[in-house]
Amino acid sequence: MEKQLIISVGREYGSGGHEIAEKLSKHYKIPLLDHNLLDEIAAEKNMDMEHWKELDEKHKNRLSSRTVRGYSSSPEENLYQMQFQYLKNRALSGDSFVIVGRCSETILKEFDSLVTIFVLGDIDKKVERIMRLYELSKNQAVKKIREKDWKRRRYHNSFCTGKWGASRNYDISINSSKLGVDGTVEMLIDYIDRRRIE
Amino acid sequence: MLAQVFAVIIFIAMFVFIVTEIVERHIVSLICAVLTIIFVFGVGMHSMAAVIETMNLKSIFTAEFWYLSGESGSSSAGINWETILFIFGMMVMVEGMARVGFFRWLCMRIAKLVKYQVIPLFITFMVLSTILAMFIDSITVILFLAAVTIELSQLLKFNPVPMILSEIFCANLGGSATMCGDPPNIIIGTSLGYSFTDFVTNTGVIVAVSLVAVLLYFYLIFKKELKPNVSQPIDYGSLPSPESTITDKKGFVISSIIFAVAIVLLVTHAQTGLTVSAIGTIVAIATLATSWKYAILLLKKVDYKTLLFFIGLFVVIGGLEQTGILEIMAAFIGKISGGNVMVMVAIIIWLSAIASAFVDNIPFATTMIPIIKSLSVTYGVDLSMLAWTLAMGTDIGGSATPIGASANVVGIATAAREGYVIKWGKYCKKMMPATVMVVLISMLIIYVRYL
Repeated sequence: MEKQLIISVGREYGSGGHEIAEKLSKHYKIPLLDHNLLDEIAAEKNMDMEHWKELDEKHKNRLSSRTVRGYSSSPEENLYQMQFQYLKNRALSGDSFVIVGRCSETILKEFDSLVTIFVLGDIDKKVERIMRLYELSKNQAVKKIREKDWKRRRYHNSFCTGKWGASRNYDISINSSKLGVDGTVEMLIDYIDRRRIE
Repeated sequence: MLAQVFAVIIFIAMFVFIVTEIVERHIVSLICAVLTIIFVFGVGMHSMAAVIETMNLKSIFTAEFWYLSGESGSSSAGINWETILFIFGMMVMVEGMARVGFFRWLCMRIAKLVKYQVIPLFITFMVLSTILAMFIDSITVILFLAAVTIELSQLLKFNPVPMILSEIFCANLGGSATMCGDPPNIIIGTSLGYSFTDFVTNTGVIVAVSLVAVLLYFYLIFKKELKPNVSQPIDYGSLPSPESTITDKKGFVISSIIFAVAIVLLVTHAQTGLTVSAIGTIVAIATLATSWKYAILLLKKVDYKTLLFFIGLFVVIGGLEQTGILEIMAAFIGKISGGNVMVMVAIIIWLSAIASAFVDNIPFATTMIPIIKSLSVTYGVDLSMLAWTLAMGTDIGGSATPIGASANVVGIATAAREGYVIKWGKYCKKMMPATVMVVLISMLIIYVRYL
């Protein structure tokens, strides 16, 4: 049986982190979990999860929610818990997968098969990428990057003790602007393969 | 003056930290209690007597703590050990009942009695939620009812959210009917010396009238949503039988007897003289002695964080009381009502309801008790009427928002864990009108009956 491999990819918006995760998933022939995580949970529970989609990767609002004996009224926290449980069960079942964001580097910390990566990028390269992908002006791209990263930081930091993007929180933090997406993927594959030999 | 400033700052800080949940609420209240002892009683008042009075330890060693030969009430100043001990005892008993499958059995039994028909199930579960919450905490009631509702909804193909929302409302409503139903009522009862019967014959009557209106209201707004999905066949054979939910038959019988004894003791405590602290102790000892094999497990399951939260809270409120802040607040309410009892009742019930919709109703009710006492003395208003007004406002107001009461949070989270999202908008749209309706009914009954 193939040795279990779980790759967690945290990413700055515009860094190409998602594309890198896709390429790693293809290379190792293991499923990629990102926005489709909710579809997977919906299939498992045999129900429609459309209402949850707008809450995906959203932070918990402390003022409009309350916790009682470990139960929370926050829909965001409940979704986080559902994803947490799903990922944990999937990891416990021995499955290999690549998971993008969703606090996975913290949630799956206990698994030896976990490799945690954070992909960052230079602001000019990230702006260039977002302008190209979404046909935006420079100002619009800068605004979008700021907003997305702010949301991701708030989401991550409201559920995890470790800070989003802080190097101590990940096995490897890499600036994709230096080697490009493909170069970064090659380097990460080398790193992951060495880790798997250990 | 310095002590008053300290007391107010600590009280406000405690509320802010409880609402924001940066730190768990029992830690907040205990830290604030220590700060109250140091800064309010020590630096501000230089009074060791105030510390001793607030700790209230000597009350435990008096005969009145366990047995009352006549009508009397304990002081509201300081830690209300009677409340702490009673809640502890009930928690042990409820854990014992949960272990043997009592609540799941009860829900399944009722579901079977109504032949698994959705609308009768909807009505009976609301009534069950109300009745159970009269005797045990609403968190436990909703924990089991919501779980069974979801299980049945998956088998009977209906949307469980309307039923869960109605059960939450009824759990909060039922809690207001008795002295032991909701923590504010236990605190009001033990602080002001009211019995179980006093509550049932006053708030209980209001609840009975309100329940009829609530059943009708939820039926009318939810009847369409509760229609089962007839396109999918229902497999009645997969429904669990009530008997299969019992995990320990002997334990089940014993737990049921202990529960029945607890109800009898509570109903008759004004006649027997047994205080709620004595009743709590009796049921806890009976539960632990009869399930001694699981005693450690049951004791571990007790929600000590809530008990610690209460202890800290009583000290902080004690600080406000000892420094006369609550008398100032009472004078303010008296002034704006112009001494008019009807206005006073309206202010207390609506203020309590609105505040409880957004903040924990336990600190609010605890703060309000000395205030209504002061209003009663100053304006010659019947204290019991103000107590029922406060109880209804704090207990019912909590239903209005997802964060108003513990049952709401547990119900929403239980539904969410199974994939059913209940957001603020949906929750408030259905629950706020019901809350306003019951607060109005309560106010009108109080006006008609007592004024």
